[in-house]
Formats: sequence, C-alpha cells, structure tokens
Amino acid sequence: MTLYLKAFIIPNMQAGIGVSTAQDHIKAAREAVAKARRDLNGKDIKFAFVFSTEGFCHSLVLEAITDSIGPLALLGASSKAIISNQGILKEGIAVILFALAENTYFNTACVKDISAKTTLSAGEELGERLLYGCKNVRRNLSVIFSNADADYSSNFINGLQERLGRSFPLVGASIVGHQESCLYFGAEILHNAACGILWGGKLNFNLGIEHGWQPLGKPRYVTRSQGDIVNEIDGAPAVNLYKEYFAKEIPELKKELKRLSVFYPLGMLISEKKEYLLRSVVSILDDGSLAFRGEVPQGSSIRLMISSKEACLESASNAARTALKNIGGAKIKFALVFSSLSRNILLGRQAAQEIRLIQDILGKDVPLAGIYTSAEEAPLNSINYLGKTYFHNNSIAVLTITD
Amino acid sequence: MSHLDKILLLVYILTTLPLAAFLIYKIYYLRQLQPKFDSVKKSLDDMDEQAKLIVRTDIELNKIQEALDKKITGLYALQRLSRIISMTLEEDQIFKRIQPEYLDDLGLEKGCGFLWDEQNKQFALRFSLGYTDAEIKAIQTFINNSQRQCLDFIINDKTLSSVSGVNDLIGAQQLNTIFKVISFIISPLLPQQNNRGLIFFGTQNPETVVTEGDEELIKILATQLGQALENARLFEKTWRAQQELEKKVTARTRELTVALEEVKKISDRKTNFVSSVSHELRTPLTSIKGYAAILLTGKLGDLPKDVRERLEKINRHSDELVHMVNELLDISRIESGKVAMRAEICDLKEIAAKAEDLLSGQLKERKLYLNSELAQGANLVLADRTQIERVFINLISNAMKFTPAQGKITIASRKTDKMIQTDVSDTGCGIPEEAQEPIFEEFFRVDNNINQEVKGTGLGLTLVKHIIEAHGGKIWVKSKIGFGATFSFTLPAAG
Repeated sequence: MTLYLKAFIIPNMQAGIGVSTAQDHIKAAREAVAKARRDLNGKDIKFAFVFSTEGFCHSLVLEAITDSIGPLALLGASSKAIISNQGILKEGIAVILFALAENTYFNTACVKDISAKTTLSAGEELGERLLYGCKNVRRNLSVIFSNADADYSSNFINGLQERLGRSFPLVGASIVGHQESCLYFGAEILHNAACGILWGGKLNFNLGIEHGWQPLGKPRYVTRSQGDIVNEIDGAPAVNLYKEYFAKEIPELKKELKRLSVFYPLGMLISEKKEYLLRSVVSILDDGSLAFRGEVPQGSSIRLMISSKEACLESASNAARTALKNIGGAKIKFALVFSSLSRNILLGRQAAQEIRLIQDILGKDVPLAGIYTSAEEAPLNSINYLGKTYFHNNSIAVLTITD
Repeated sequence: MSHLDKILLLVYILTTLPLAAFLIYKIYYLRQLQPKFDSVKKSLDDMDEQAKLIVRTDIELNKIQEALDKKITGLYALQRLSRIISMTLEEDQIFKRIQPEYLDDLGLEKGCGFLWDEQNKQFALRFSLGYTDAEIKAIQTFINNSQRQCLDFIINDKTLSSVSGVNDLIGAQQLNTIFKVISFIISPLLPQQNNRGLIFFGTQNPETVVTEGDEELIKILATQLGQALENARLFEKTWRAQQELEKKVTARTRELTVALEEVKKISDRKTNFVSSVSHELRTPLTSIKGYAAILLTGKLGDLPKDVRERLEKINRHSDELVHMVNELLDISRIESGKVAMRAEICDLKEIAAKAEDLLSGQLKERKLYLNSELAQGANLVLADRTQIERVFINLISNAMKFTPAQGKITIASRKTDKMIQTDVSDTGCGIPEEAQEPIFEEFFRVDNNINQEVKGTGLGLTLVKHIIEAHGGKIWVKSKIGFGATFSFTLPAAG
C-alpha cells in the first residue's frame, strides 16, 4: 500500500483566491491560479484548495495548476456547483492558495478504495496518516473531503476520531452520488476515496453549522436499525412514517423520493446537545426499510422535519454569525463554506441569497470559497468546537480562519 | 410456628405494608393520571394529524413553487437569450450566442439547429450543444434522410414536444433514441422562407422532463431566432445594395469630375479666346474709329452729305463695338480672376446719386422718375466703388430701357444678416418667368418688342452678375409681365 504523506513547516499566513469561468479548462485553471497568486503578493505558496464543477476535465485542471505553480500540497473536490465571492457557479473553478504562519504546521493525506474496507478502518487509516509528522505538535483542525458511497458513513468519522481524538474538530464535505465528482489530492484525481488536511500549531478558526429545519408532528422511536438503514419505526416498517404523513403508497413515494429527501428529512434528537441532526432518505428498500445518508442508531428519538426558504436562509446567517463569534478584532483570512445540495434545491432561485447573506455578515472582501455537498461533517454544537464531530445532512458549514 | 417465626412474620408484615400501601397509592395515582395521559396522547395524535395536513399542503406548495421557479428561470433565460441574439446582425453569430448556460436555465442539456440549404438541397447544421461530433453527425444524417418529413413539419409551423403530439412527426421513441434524450421540444424556424429550418432541445435528466410551459418558451425562442435571422438577412441584403450603390455613386462621381474638368478647360479656353479676340479687335477698331474721326473733321477735304452720314454711322457703330469689346474683356477678366476687387467702405447713397447725375439727361429725355430710397443704416457696403458704380449704371440704364415715359424707377436697400440688399425696381413691361434666370447669361436677350427696337450688347447683366459674385454677393430678378421688374443684389455690409 502506498502512503500519501507530506509534512511542511510554513513561514507566513495568507490566503489568495482566484475564480474563473473560462470555457477552456486549462485557461480557467491558469486564470484562477494567476488571480489567487496576485492576492498573495509573491508570498511562498505551500498549500492549495481546488474546487471545480463536475463538467471540468479534472486531469487537465491539475496539470495546468502544477504547470503554473509547481508540485504542491493540494486538496479539493468537484461538485455540481461551487461557491465563491462571485456567488454560486454552475461552471467554474476556484483556487485558494495558502501561505501559512511560521508556527503553523500541516499535513495532507488520503485513503483510497474505501468500499473495499470498512468505513471505520478507512477513517482510522486516514487519521493515522494525517497524524504523521504532527504527533508532537498541538493539533487544531482537520478538513476532510470524501466521495466514497459507503454504508455506515458515520463510522468514517468515528474511525478518524479514534486516531485524531474524540473531541478533535473535523470539518468535512462528502460528495457522493455523482459519477462525475472527484477529489483532488496532490497531482492525483481520486474516486471512492477520502483526503484531508490536518493543521497544527498556530491556527485560529471558528465554525458555524446550521440547517434551518424544524420538527413537526409527534416524536417517534427507531425500534430497529443497522447503520444507515432504518428498518422499523415504532415497531412498524420505517416507510410507514412517510406513507402516513404524505398519504402516498410506496411507488409514489419512490417517485417523489428526491423531493421528500430534500424537503422532509428526519430529525434525530441528540439529547445532550438539544439539537436535531438531519437524516435524508436515500432510498426505500423492498422490505419497507429506509436507507439514509448517515447512521441512525436504534432507539433514537426521531421526528419529521420541515423547512422554508426563509428558515433556510436564516440558518445560513446564523452559521456565519457563529463563525464570527469570539474572533474579536481579528481579520478573517479565509472562509470555507460547505453547503448541502438539498439546500440549493430547496432555495431554488434564492440559492445565491444564502451566499450573499454569509458575505454580508463576514464581509464582502473576505476571500470565500466552498462547494456543494451531499453530506457535511462538523461538531454539532459549533460554539464548543471541541465537541464530537457528527455526520450532517441538509446543513451549511461556515469555517473562518483568522489572524 | 416458633416464636422466632412469628417475630419474623411480624417484621415482614410491618416492612411490606408501607410498600404495599405505596404501591396501592401509586396505582391509585396512575389511575388518576390516566385521563391526563390519555389527553396528552390525544393532543400528540391530534398534533400529528395536523402535521400530516401541513406536510401534504407544504409538498403541494413546494411543487407549485418549483414549477413557478422553473418558469421564471426559463423566462429570464429566454429574455437574456432574445436580447443577446437580437444584438447581432450576423447569421453565424446568432447561433453562436446560444450558450449552454441558457439551456441549463431552461432545464435542458442538449440542443441543435439546422437550416435548409436550398442550393445543396440539404439541412446544414448551425449549432449544437451537449453533443459529441459523432452524435451530431448521426443526427444530421437522420435529419437529411427524413428531409420530406422535416420540411413538412417546418411548413406546418407547429412546435412539437414529448408532451404534445410528436407522433405526428416521426415518433417520440425514435427521436429520443436519435437525439439521445428522454424528453424534448422541436420547433420550426422561418416556415415561410426558403432558408427555413428547425431547432431541437432536449434533456436526458428524468427530473427535468419538458413541460407544456417549456414547449411555449421554445416556441417563443424559435420566433425570436426567426426574427433575428430575418433581420440579419435583411441587413445583409441592404448592406449589399448599399455597397452596390456606393460603387455606382463613386463611378458616377468620377465621371462627373472628369466632365467638370473638361467643362472648366473649355470655359477657360473660351475666356482666353474671348479675351484674345477682344484684344485683337480693339486695335483695328481704334484705327477704324480714328480714321473715321479724321475724315469727319474735314481736314482731308469736304465730305459730301451722304459720305458724312455714312462716316457718322461708322463712328457710332465703332463706339458700340468698342463698348461691347470692353464689356467682354471685363467679363473675361473677372471670370479668370485677373481683376481684383478693391474693397473699401462705399456709401450706396453717393453711388446712386452719381449714377443719377450721370443718367439725368436720359431720364429727363425719357420722362422717367428715379427715386432713391436707400435707407440710413443700410447704405454702407464693403465693395470696389468703380465696379459698383458700373452695377448701378447698368441696372438703372436697363430699367430705363424697358420703362415707358412717366414711369418710375426706385432704388431701395435693407440690411439682411451681414449683407446689404439693394433693389432696383421699375414700372416697365416686366420679364417673363422663363427668362428670369437666363437673363444673366451672356448675349441672352428677352424676346420682346422693346429689345427688337433698342440695341444692346446682351452683356450688361452678365457683367453685373460677375461683379456682384466677385464681391461674394448674389443677384436675382423678380418680375411679372406688365408689372415691372425688381433686380436685387447683395453686397457685404461695412462694419
């Protein structure tokens, strides 16, 4: 097995962002790099995030970036749409170049072929690799990207936290269910994999994560479940919940599954946090079980959740406000946004408003980039970032890195 | 039962009694709570039923909202597309401006357009989006193999889609396979034109299948495209016509320039000829006049009466000929620019008075009245005094010639802009309208009784015109037969 490990010591901290929508993919990548470099004013580039839309020829993009700035520790992903200071781009590329502070350390790593492993072991493997070279420094934060469509997806986080620490803050984006999506890692294009960066030393950050869905109807209990599959709710086949609420039979529900998944996920009450963790339905199984994106433990108290465009937008503002808390007068160097594709669907024509609201709160001049996700990973209570990291659906995560 | 057993039984009873009492109390309490519990449970169930109603309404509202959003996005895309295609007048550019982003906003991924090439009798591809080269080639082959159906479809001018009667054309399933979509819209372009065509848009995404609303949007787009194409063709036609016209104008201008040069040469030649001939004529004329004068003095002997009369005629005619030759010379000099006008401030009143004085004998003889009404403030001009005197004498003489006895000649002036306009009016016989312009041409004489009786060189007014124009002024005449004539000329005002 090949190890994908690198460790660096970096003298300065600065982020430069470049976005391009040029139709020529090589030109787009070069343009984005050139713009990002201009922001860095000649500082030494050590690390890059790359986000692109699915239609891009990813190998050409990586080649063009490497040609422009040389071999580099690079992480990123492609998705249906990307987020930047210019709003939501359905076709485009964003390159964020970093020159970090002298006493900030980082390491990047990846794990491949996840479906051939247990998700727990894949998580542990990535955690172990991320720790390489950073075991003796104060570890701050890890940002993870994954595109493996595996069962027990929550276990991946458990595996990671087994190695990085139970209360170690992880922020992640899962991009699954799209054939054209990929991960960028160094000079490689990855599928069925996960990659991440571990920051250590001096790094100040804040995180806000919200969803904006509210519980509706009476609480119910998961009486039988296994990982991401819920077999029974209140002793009846899980699908009955949706059948009852929507007065539709299974074939109709299957037809409208995408809508149900986006608009009416289940909310799982995390008792000690008093927050609902959302779970979107991925499929209805023949035995009436429901497959969710993320684990639903047996015995969980669940409720049907509902949202509106207004509540969804308000939650984006709240996430940004939380990401701004406790930073004092420190300048935000960079903001990373992971927003669920479900939110994009729910907001429809107002989707760009979500990003504008975040910009209004963080500041229009703050370099901002991100990606649309199928699931998000972050601590539940974002104010206390030392909490356990959870697997989220339909949420928006705003990570700010400050001076 | 032993004593110990009794004690133990008593202890047991004493310890279990409170427990039993507690249990009895608990059961009694729970029974009391049961109605409350049932009430809470009922409330929860009621709340759940209400929640069901809410989500069912909400899902319907979301569907409506989605449809509305889709329509609004489609309309925006159509509006932007219409604007961008109407901004070009090049046929190729019109199709190039249909970009994938617009298709995306319309909820479609694939599109193509063909125009009928009358010359080659086949459909030519004009744009393609979302297809590989091989795919679009196969589609073009299919379109050309189905030319008859396609042309009929275009002429029928009816937009079809997977949701409305596409079987009229070929069959939805076959089109889906050929165009690699699961739903589509096909619309004719310019059905009434020779260069007609069709556009096709579709999707292979089961979540964004086309609707009747989409069909309506594509129909509007086809109309807009048709109009843009017509505009482009019209512009092309107009542009070509203009180019043709410009070529013709250039050629004609060139011809006219050559002709004008020729006319100028001829005119110069004529002026030189007149000047030379006039000079040549003056010398023999001076001799003739000189010898006639000597003979008339009688120094060479007495002359018989008949001879004297003939000699006097020779002398008089020689004078007239000299006058004519002089006028011709003056005209040719002015024409050739050899005579410079010495501009000075002249008082028209003084000039008119001098002319009146000079012509007073003739005025008295012909019983004519000359009335000078030159206004104060409209009497000072910047001109060559000698030449303007000639103008006044010529015009007054001319008026005298055609005004019967007791008639009146009036000289008036007024200021117009930076010029002084002088009018010389008479109460004479007038000038016919057709003669009012050529009257200033050399040797032109109005065909009337007076002209047949009174002699004239036919050069006086020509000379006047040349003098006035050499000063930057204009001269014209207004007249009505039987009501006299007014000759007007302008000269630059002084100061």
